[in-house]
Amino acid sequence: MSFEPKILGIACNWCTYTGADLAGTTRLHYPQNVRVVRVMCSSRINPSFIFRAFQLGADGVLIGGCHPGDCHYNTGNLYARRRLATTKKILEFAGLEPGRLRVEWISASEGNKFAEVVEEFTMQIKNLGPQSKLKIQQ
Amino acid sequence: MTDFKKIEENLKTEAGRLLKEGLVTVVLSYGKGFDENHPMPYAAKTIADVENIVFNQYCNYNMARYLVRYPQGTKIAIAVKAADSRAVIQLIQEEKVKRENLVILGIPVQGMKNPKTGEVIDSKTTCGLYNPVLYDILLGEEVHGQKNALPYEVLAEYEAMDKDARWEFWEKELNKCIRCYACRKACPMCYCDPCFIDQSKPKWADKAPQSPGNMMYHLTRFHHLAGRCIDCGECSRACPVDIPLYLFHKKVAKECEEMFNQKAGMSIEDKPVLVDFRVEDSDKILE
Repeated sequence: MSFEPKILGIACNWCTYTGADLAGTTRLHYPQNVRVVRVMCSSRINPSFIFRAFQLGADGVLIGGCHPGDCHYNTGNLYARRRLATTKKILEFAGLEPGRLRVEWISASEGNKFAEVVEEFTMQIKNLGPQSKLKIQQ
Repeated sequence: MTDFKKIEENLKTEAGRLLKEGLVTVVLSYGKGFDENHPMPYAAKTIADVENIVFNQYCNYNMARYLVRYPQGTKIAIAVKAADSRAVIQLIQEEKVKRENLVILGIPVQGMKNPKTGEVIDSKTTCGLYNPVLYDILLGEEVHGQKNALPYEVLAEYEAMDKDARWEFWEKELNKCIRCYACRKACPMCYCDPCFIDQSKPKWADKAPQSPGNMMYHLTRFHHLAGRCIDCGECSRACPVDIPLYLFHKKVAKECEEMFNQKAGMSIEDKPVLVDFRVEDSDKILE
């Protein structure tokens, strides 16, 4: 059986989640591996969410926010950018593949981009294989 | 070489004067331990206490740790070495203490030693500075003409490692952790109450000293100290099982410095990098 990765998607309410909605309403096909959780802003994302997701068996984490400058709360994603960049560096130095965490800015009108990003990211995670380092072994 | 006796004398004189004139209510410095190699953090509150103050090459505790334990507004004098002064600056940036409530006694020092191993810690586990960044009164002569220790030199070996080897290394090291939280207790920047690991709603990680919980605790702690760690190395010296935590903190500090062009605790005008942003930050940092 081929490996079907589990991907946690965390999407900002105002842009990426609406973008994902648009991808749905325009009947775009994209892999079903991503489970999307909606948050109010990308800066709502506590880095511990990401560590915890990996521990609970996620193979990849995809984070979506508004384009810098377009944040509904003006500056949220600018904080998030710094924070998530740091998270990525920490995962990398701990020995996890940095490619397992991806941050994308997807606006509400970019349903196409959402589908493309999910497709691309799923392929990438498939190539990386299952994430077993941080995963809690039962 | 630093004249430790002279610094001790100066420290006693200044502490005595400050307490006598009533400028401060407490002087944070070092006191006698059970032997000369193990001095203790010491808070002198009366003029009689001043006699107990010592300073020698094993006084590597970061006294900035104790600043946040006093109520806001307490007048405090604190003895700081180079890294400690950066911790004080960082605490001022984070508004945990006010500059006007502090009298900072700067100690330029070279040749501090780790009491456990006896090795000199200047460049390996500390920020590579010898002179305090911020002080009111300097208690010795500034160290000059010294070859600049490169604080990030020790990282090269680990950065060159293959990622799987690095994972194995950290898993092995962090598996040793017995969750005594000495790193948290020793860290001047760890003042959250309650700490995320003590929370039960949400319960972020298991409290049992086993790998998943250890990973969660340490990774999150590295993240919480990103851009704030001032590289005093106290966490790794406090660690009873000798986990080289300073390596990870150094790495994160290095990355933050490269990404955001700001070093933690160098100026009281700065803001900690992760509660700040620039519109012109590049998306490249996310790659």
